[in-house]
Parts: sequence; C-alpha cells; structure tokens
Amino acid sequence: MKDNRSTRRRVLRLGGAAGLASIAGCSGLLGNGGANGGGDGDGDGGGTGGENVVGQIGSGRSPFGARDISGGVSMAAMPDLSGELTLYSGRGEPLVGQLITYIQDLYPDLTIRPRYNSAAELVNQIETEGSGSPADVFFSVNAGSLGALKDRERTAELPTEVLDMVPDQFHDPDGTWIGTSGRARTIPYNTNELSDSDIPDDIFAFPETEAFRDAIGCAPTYSSFQAFITAMRALNGEEETRQWLNGMQELGLDANYPDEFLVSQAVADGELRAGFANHYYIQRVLAGRPNAPISTAFTDGDAGAIFNVAGACVLDTAADTDLAANFVRHLLSAEAQDYFARETFEYPLVPGVEPIGRLPTIDELNPPEGLDLTQLSDLEGTVNLLRDVGVL
Amino acid sequence: MATDHPTVDDASDGLPLPTTVASGAVAAAVLLPLVWLVRTALDVGLAEAIDISTRPSTVQVFVNSAALVVVVTVASVLIGVPLAYLTVRTDLPFRRGFTVAVSLPLVIPSYIGAFAFVSAFGPQGAFQRLLAPLGVERLPEIYGFVGASLVITLYTYPYVFITTRAALKSLDTTLIDAARTLEHSQWEAFRRVTVPQIKPAVGAGSLLVALYALSDFGTPAIMQFDAFTRVIYVEFTTFGRDVASLLSLQLVAVTLLILGLESHVRGNEPLYAGRQGGRTSGTVRLGKWKYVAMAACLAVSGLALFVPLGILLTWLAQGGAEVGNALAFQPAYALNSVGVSAGAALVATVAGLPIAYLAASHRSRLTEAFERATYVGYAVPGVVLGLALVYLGTSYARPIYQTLYLLVAAYVVRFLPQAVGSMRASFLRVNPALPEAARTLGRSSFGAFRAVTLPLIAPGLFGGAALVFLTTMKELPATLLLRPSGFKTLVTHIWTATASGYYGHAAVPALILLGVSALSMLVILSQEGYDVK
Repeated sequence: MKDNRSTRRRVLRLGGAAGLASIAGCSGLLGNGGANGGGDGDGDGGGTGGENVVGQIGSGRSPFGARDISGGVSMAAMPDLSGELTLYSGRGEPLVGQLITYIQDLYPDLTIRPRYNSAAELVNQIETEGSGSPADVFFSVNAGSLGALKDRERTAELPTEVLDMVPDQFHDPDGTWIGTSGRARTIPYNTNELSDSDIPDDIFAFPETEAFRDAIGCAPTYSSFQAFITAMRALNGEEETRQWLNGMQELGLDANYPDEFLVSQAVADGELRAGFANHYYIQRVLAGRPNAPISTAFTDGDAGAIFNVAGACVLDTAADTDLAANFVRHLLSAEAQDYFARETFEYPLVPGVEPIGRLPTIDELNPPEGLDLTQLSDLEGTVNLLRDVGVL
Repeated sequence: MATDHPTVDDASDGLPLPTTVASGAVAAAVLLPLVWLVRTALDVGLAEAIDISTRPSTVQVFVNSAALVVVVTVASVLIGVPLAYLTVRTDLPFRRGFTVAVSLPLVIPSYIGAFAFVSAFGPQGAFQRLLAPLGVERLPEIYGFVGASLVITLYTYPYVFITTRAALKSLDTTLIDAARTLEHSQWEAFRRVTVPQIKPAVGAGSLLVALYALSDFGTPAIMQFDAFTRVIYVEFTTFGRDVASLLSLQLVAVTLLILGLESHVRGNEPLYAGRQGGRTSGTVRLGKWKYVAMAACLAVSGLALFVPLGILLTWLAQGGAEVGNALAFQPAYALNSVGVSAGAALVATVAGLPIAYLAASHRSRLTEAFERATYVGYAVPGVVLGLALVYLGTSYARPIYQTLYLLVAAYVVRFLPQAVGSMRASFLRVNPALPEAARTLGRSSFGAFRAVTLPLIAPGLFGGAALVFLTTMKELPATLLLRPSGFKTLVTHIWTATASGYYGHAAVPALILLGVSALSMLVILSQEGYDVK
C-alpha cells in the first residue's frame, strides 16, 4: 500500500522532471516574465535531495542515510500537499534546507517559498507586516518566539490530530504551536581538563566550583542562554537567579561569546574548561573534529537541564490553513524526525524515533518539573536582570 | 581661494523650480520611514518612555557611543586623507592597485571584521597561539572600546579616502604651482592650498564615518562594547519593537545634533577653484619615501582585509561538519549582488544629483534641509530601517513588497547621503561662471550642465556611486527583511553560513565578495578619468 503510493509519486516526479527539462527554455522565460511572483531559487536546487532520497520512502529506511526508522508516521501516509506556501524560517538553511527541498520535491503541485532570517527578526517582521503578512507558516528555533507570536494573537490553532503526534509537554496547551524537535541544555566540558564527576549535578553548586574559575563561558545574547536564565527565574525566583549570576561573575564567567557553537569550540580548544550550550553544538563540534576533547554533562532537574523545542505554528494570515497545518504535520513525519536526529543532532519529539550520537535518550533526561515551555517567552525580565548584574 | 564672489548664492536669484521640486520629493521619500518609527514608539507609555530615556544606563551608553564616534572619526581622517593624497598626488607605484585595495575594506561586513578580529587577537585567539611558542600566554584585551573603535575605523576610513580622493582628482594643481613659486614649501602649499580645497570632501567623508560609528549594530555587539545600538539590538531580540523604535528615535536626534554641528563647522565654503581648464599634473615625487608609503598602504589594507580572510580560511582548513548544498556557492549570488548594488548606485546618484546641486549652488535653509534629510535614513540602524520599510511596503505598496524594487529603494534610503555628500563637495568647486559662459554662448541650461558642469563633477559623481555600490554589496539587515523570497546575494550567503555556525564556509563567498568588488571598483575607477583636458 505504502509502496504503491511512493511508486506513484516517483513516477510523477520523474515525469515532472522530464517535462521540465524539455521546456526548460520556456520556463526560464516564464520565470523572468513573472518577476515579482517567481524568482525563488530554492525549488530547483534538488540535486542532492534527489540522489539519496529516491525509492527509500516507505521502505522503513531513512531517506537521509542508512538507518531503519521503525516508529512514527511516514510522509507517504500523510495528506498530499499542493498549492503555494510561504515559510518564514528562523532555522538556518544549512540546517533545514535539505528537508524543505525534500518535501517540495515530493509533491509536483507544491511550491514552498522559504524566507530565512533569525527567529526574533521574523517575529518582528510578521508583527510589522500585520494583516498584510504573506507568511503561512513560521518555523522557529525556540518556543519563546512561537509564544511571542501567540501572545500577539498572530497564530491559528493546529488540528488535534497534528498536536497529538507529540507528548503534551511539547506543544502549546492551547494548541497554537507545536514542537518539532528538542534541544537539551547541557554543560560542554573539556575532557583533558575535567571529568564528568567534576561537573556538579546541581546548577546552584556551580558558583562554588573552583575547577571552573576563570574558565567557564557563555553567550548571553544568545536566545537559548536567555531561555535558561528565564527558566531559572521561573523555577527559583528573581533573587536566587541574581545571586547565582553574581556568584558566576565572581567565579570569572566569560560572557564574551556571541553564540554557543563558539562556546563549544572554545571548550574543545581548551580556551574554556566548561561552558553553557545546547546539546547539539557539542555534537556539531564532534562532527567536524571527531577526536576533539569535548563531552557532554547534564545537571539534574534544574534550570540547567531544561529541554526546549524548535517548533512551528500556522499564522492567522495563512492563505490556506489546511495546507499550512499539513505542512507542519510533515515536519513531524518519521522522515523529518529522523532528519532532525541525523542532520541537526536534535532530539526527535515523535515517540519511536531515537536520537543519535553519544546522547542519552529523551526519557533518560532529567528536565525540571513544573516548568512549561510557554513560560520561556518572558525574555524581557531576563534581559533586564542580565543587564542589571552586568553580564549583558 | 574663492576666485569670485558667490553670485548664485543670492536669494534674489530664486530656486530653479523643477530641481527644487525633485529635491523636495526625494527628501520627503527618504524621510517616510520615520513615520513608522514614530508610530511604533508611541506604543511605549509616557512613564516608561521617560524611565527608559533617563535611566543611568541610557546616559552611560550615550557617553560610550559619543566617545566611539569621536575617536573613530578622527582616526579615519588621519588614515583616509594621507592615503588619498598618496594615491592621487604622488608617484606611488601601483597607484590603481593600491586605490582598490585601500577602498575594499568598505565591503567587509562589520560583523565579519569584528568576529575575525576577536578570533585573531582575542586573549587566546589565533594570534596568541602563533606567539605561544615565544612564551606569550595572553594578549591584551581586545574587547571593549579599543577593539570597537579599531574595527569600525578599519572598515569605515574608506569613506574619507574615497571622497577625499575625488576632490584631489579634480584639484587645480596650477594653484599649488603658484604657491610653490611664491616659495611655499611642499607642506605649506598643502596646508594653504590643498587643505581648503579638499575640506568639504573630507567633511562629507567624516560625516559618513561618524554616523556609521553611531549606528553600527554588529561591531559593538561582538566587541562587547556597550554602545547605544547594542541596547537597541537587545530590545529587538526580545520582541520589544516599541522600545527599540523609541531608542532609534533618540539615535535620530543624536544624528540631527551631529549634522547641526557639522553644518556649523563646515561653514560657508564656496570654492570655485576646481579644475576649470586648469590642469592636474606635477605629481609629488616620493623618492625614498616611496617604500614607507607603500608599506603604509599595505599595512592598512592588509590588516583590514587579510585578518578576516586569514581567520575564515583557518576555519575552513580546520574543516567543519558536512553540510548540504545550502552552502554550495552559485555564480548567481555574485550576479545578484552586483546587480542590486549597481542599481542602488545608479538610482542614488540620479536621486541625489538635484539635492547635491541645490545644496552647493543655491544655499538656503530649504536646500540645506533637503540635503540634511538624506542623512536620517543612513543614521538609523539597518534593521530599524528595514522594518520601517516592511511596514510601508505591506501597508501602502503591497505589489512591490518583497520585490527588487522595494529592496533597491531601501538601499537608496540607507545610502543616499554617500552619493549626495560626494557630489555636493564636487559641485562646490565648480565656478558658476563656467556654465554661465556656456549659456551666453547659446547652450540651454541643461546643455550647459551636461557640457560643462557634469565633466567637472565627474570624479565626485563616480566617487559617490562607488561608495553606494560598495556599501550595498555588504548590506545585510535590510536585505534579509526585504529581499524577494529565495533571492540570494553574496552577503546573505555569508550570513547563511555564519548564522548556523559554519564560519569556515563563509571564507569562499567572502573571497568572492572581495574579488567581485575589486573588479567593479576597477571599472568605476576607469570611468573616473572621464573629464575635461
């Protein structure tokens, strides 16, 4: 059954490609003529998408490499997508472009127009565009940006059958956005300098840990770090958070890094002994330098161990709400979930698709109790606090 | 220096109507983005607005930004003017090559430059690792004021260089010869003849530098320097559009202050002594100093260009994670960059021409207001301007929203003063008697302009166009907000790599950005020679 569907699609795609080639001159002309509407170069960049993809859908094999996917729902079992979709993506093209192209190539009648920018800037853009926004779907690096759009009443409700694909804690209780992949807060540490037992299980023990003196770093303008502080404020209150920050500063916290990939690089280089970063940055350093002396530690049940999500929402301005919701559904397909695990080193959120790398499974993590992700969108108080204590 | 009493200046002459209307329209258009700023800033409650404006940290960042502006401007003049003099007035070898090399730092996006300097000269950066065998454990701190002013200076002094160069190109050297025959030393001749001649151009360039230093987002953020823009940046990343707009309006107020100050300083300087049938010859012989001069040119451009390239290449060599084809380079990106930049340069030159002309030859409060208005868009940070145009585009210009038309319009609003400043400095040195003579010989006013004035101002025209071109090549924030979906340029491609942490993959497009810009500069420079005998 599944196989039949995929074969049909393959034939369609091949036919489409041949047809396209034969009228290439024409379509070039058309592309130029329709200057305003067309001109998006992403649709035709499917070269790599094609080669490792064809024929694997529905076979249980991952289209993005040799791995069996047992759990989850295949794209083949999802409603077909057709029409035009404008996707505002706060997730970078190197990270998700291949997946978008893959979905695009699956359906001959689908045109996806992706716009890439930082998540915060896209939220500002959507808000400024108002009711004239061309955006259909917003794909975000964090729950905070999704919550910000919800607060501004710019989101449309997602269908229950989409929301039910992930455990409850990974979607908005009101159903306006859904997590598509997860990222754990971690402590990257240099294995030449420290061992796992040197890293306290309790984030509040950090300021007293002499091993970190003048050798621990963070990226205070980076949204995931701010989410971590926001979580601490929510869990432990303003005062305790302030004391923690003061304590870290007295310990010589190096708050000079623009993002957490660079924090992780600095740890691998030995410039820092430890840092604060999302888990996948460590995996990314290791992907480039497999022998780099860097490893991952977790704190236990506190703000240092929050589990945040990247996710998506359908906007109130979406031209075709069904298409937009079904596109979001595709981000939760077995193929997409496997893609996040494999390509961005994140945690799949759909039960049954496992993370890869030297990582504990999602059930083995110990995020704090009693914190829901929508609480992480209150960044303003966090920024004021960071500025007040002089970290920012 | 003025050979005549300024006649056109007389208010009784009246303003030429078509030119005035055109100038007014352009000035109004570039001020439109303020509408959104004011509208959004009004969302901030009055109490909060007062609180924000008067909190001690706001005052502190104002002081910080002011210090940055002063230091960067002075340093840029000290670097830009001598370099311009060397490449125009002396027998420096490889002059054209040095001119291009010394102009090129303008195309390096400041966030790349700042990032590279931190990586290279950070306490334990690449440079320290290089020196580690010699026992250097730690380099002095580069973060903060020193780093921010160093980096901004290195990437903005070309404003002074290019505008000054245009003025020197059309300098009437017979005046210098005259001074020399009057037994002035080379230095005295420079001080008494050349300096007054190039002052408006240096002023135009410094103003651009000052306002850039005031409104730059990237460098202070990376250098951890608490400049005004860093505060605005934080507001934007936390979705505080209203507060960000309010703070941006304060930035506009500071800009107006600087503009007022500059107007006051530059005074009245009609200098009708450009090359009006005079000649440019008699380059200054450098003799042994030639090598010192070459070393200076190399040092400045080398520091600004090779540090970022070196760092990016190091990252590339270290290898990064395997990435998909999203980071594969396509020649179309370079064509897109050159296309929109050339478009912006052309439109900005045409739109700026009437304003520059009026401001130079028909001085009045009105013409000055037109000219000063063009600076407002330039002094507003790119993100703020981009969002303002997002608002205007979706509200009033839907059909061109997220098309190249609005994108080029955004560039023009951002960079118009670069063209205006350079052209105005050229117009100031055209003796009005010359086009008048052409008219008495039967030319129409446009004919006289084309046959007499235009060739005289050509260096300023191309200098201005070059500035707009180079800065558009590197423009990022407004491009990201306003480009057509899927439209990619060299800089968006560099951003795509760095934003996802693939710094190494920014090396190749950055090299291409430099290469393409260098070629374009050569083309522009070859046009510069278009002038009278």
